[in-house]
Amino acid sequence: METIPLLRELSETSGLAGLEAPIRALVRRLWGPLVDELREDGLGSVIGLKRGSGPEPRPRLMLAVHMDEIGLRVMEIEKGFLRITRIGGADRRVLPGTQVVVHGRRDLPGVVGMRPPHVVPREQRKKPVPWEELFVDVGLPEEEVRKLVRVGDPITFDRKLVELKNGLVTGKALDNRASVAAATLALEQLGRIDHAWDVVAVATVQEEVGLYGAATSAYSVAPDLALAVDVTFGQQPGVPADQSFPLGEGPTISLGPNFHPQVVERLKATAEAQEIPYRIEPTPGRSGTDAWAIQVAREGVPTGLVSIPVRYMHQPVETVAVKDVERAARLLASFAAGLEPDFQPRWED
Amino acid sequence: MRDLIRKLTETYGPSGFEDRIRAVIREEVESLADEVRVTPLGSLVAVKKGTGEGRRIMLAAHMDEIGVMVSHVDEKGFLRFTAIGGVNPLTCIGARVQFENGTLGVIGIEGKREDRSKVPTLNQLYIDVGATSKEDCPVRVGDAAVFVRPFAEQGQRLVAKAMDDRIGCAVLIETLRRLKKTQNEIYFVFSVQEETTLSGARTAAYGIEPDLAIAVDVTGTGDTPEARPMAVELGKGPAVKVQDRGMIAHPLVRDLLVKAAEAAGVPYQMEVLEYGTTDAAAMQLVRAGVPSGCLSIPCRYVHTPSEMVDEGDVEGAVKVLIEAVR
Repeated sequence: METIPLLRELSETSGLAGLEAPIRALVRRLWGPLVDELREDGLGSVIGLKRGSGPEPRPRLMLAVHMDEIGLRVMEIEKGFLRITRIGGADRRVLPGTQVVVHGRRDLPGVVGMRPPHVVPREQRKKPVPWEELFVDVGLPEEEVRKLVRVGDPITFDRKLVELKNGLVTGKALDNRASVAAATLALEQLGRIDHAWDVVAVATVQEEVGLYGAATSAYSVAPDLALAVDVTFGQQPGVPADQSFPLGEGPTISLGPNFHPQVVERLKATAEAQEIPYRIEPTPGRSGTDAWAIQVAREGVPTGLVSIPVRYMHQPVETVAVKDVERAARLLASFAAGLEPDFQPRWED
Repeated sequence: MRDLIRKLTETYGPSGFEDRIRAVIREEVESLADEVRVTPLGSLVAVKKGTGEGRRIMLAAHMDEIGVMVSHVDEKGFLRFTAIGGVNPLTCIGARVQFENGTLGVIGIEGKREDRSKVPTLNQLYIDVGATSKEDCPVRVGDAAVFVRPFAEQGQRLVAKAMDDRIGCAVLIETLRRLKKTQNEIYFVFSVQEETTLSGARTAAYGIEPDLAIAVDVTGTGDTPEARPMAVELGKGPAVKVQDRGMIAHPLVRDLLVKAAEAAGVPYQMEVLEYGTTDAAAMQLVRAGVPSGCLSIPCRYVHTPSEMVDEGDVEGAVKVLIEAVR
């Protein structure tokens, strides 16, 4: 599978938290040929089982990537314009001037507008526009809008994936479609390499609003070990160097209470054996990712977290290095293939 | 019990790095319990079997402590750090910290702060381990340290770092030591990761499926100069939790503890805490819900390197617990 076309299709498909149907259909189509069984759980996460070669009962490795994205929702209709609120952590500072798709009775193109700078008092121009002042214009008169759009309808960003120089791509929803791409590539690689453990890939829902898909799917999968893959802060102007990671220099491996030390050690050893560059990401509390919800499922699950650095997180211009996605994929596949049939993370060795 | 408290409080064990403190506690409980095991997240569970007719009771004290984690090493070998749990920048300046490999560090503060009258943020502090460059720095990004402070005794008052919640661990160990066989099956859980996420007690409770759960942890007091009003004092006995920021204690468990204190003739206090919470908040939400409560040890200066408790309160807590689980 070619990485950039895969990233393009994943990025451009819509799938807001709680409204993941389009991206779910795509993930099912991508994973269907790569796994032995495919199902959905009660909240809509996609669960793909790829059986291992070890003796039964085989331990299970869960690979979790959230497929939902942040976006907007219609709050009310005012003289034909749509007042909006957010789904997940959409950044209102970068909304004015964006093109969107309003998912009404049919999809409608729209733009996020605001008052022209000429009529905004000087002191207000310095501040980000409050939600109450933002609106979406689909160009239709009030009665037409009311026929096609209802309060609560979702709105997604209309953004094509673009290749920047130096192996970077930019687009919407690369948080966390970059990781969905990595998991997809890893599943493809696992078709070619032997792995003793069952690998259960899960495309989780509703991460952006509370890690709900990971919590319920981890309960249902009951894994012996789990890896979550998500994005982390890429280095960019204005973000401290000790809280961000350079693009193109490999994924991060998180270290801290959320993660089992033996899982962290194995990830590091795997990366070193495969000559995959990586950085350590210190994470002193809960990680804010699916890894936390999975770690505390049932009696607790030894968990690790691999992250792909992304610039401009939660803005419609999220930017990643293609080779970091590919490296994350190789790290996942090699980690899975390296699990011995009788390996079980322990505390007192 | 003082030697035990000394040993427990002086051992290293920030959230997520509990290997050493677990080994120390295991050594204490191994010969006292019928079974000792470790959960997938690393909590230590010591089981005291019952006669078979009783209930399953879970007692939880967390063995992790607050600390700091290295986030960056600069060219000159100075470390920037982030907090593991609730670390107050005010108690950091001039403090000493120790890493798992024994490396000692001193916390310094940037001299060029704009407004020196303001409380500094953790970003303005650094750890100096005596290194001269990134290369000769003996610790790495992701390594964790705890505050260093020897255990001290002053009459009835005991002072140490990590009384929160090694004092709870001491109470559990002492309870296990003195408790005769009962009808109940009792699970003494030394939980991990309370200070960050309550993850250890939550997952241990899933595995144990208790009929009833009691956390043993420290609570604040209102008996110091210009303190926030709170009707808990040091030396007036253990406190029975009514409510904190994370939970309302189950009335059944609350009353059980009150009756136990009265039956044991131990003075006790009722506790309403306006900040913080304990493992009990996580345990009560496990599976279909577990009636949960908390027996608290009053503690001054919580989350500083000099947490102070009263030995009489600690002794009282052991007596109440023994009576409650019988």
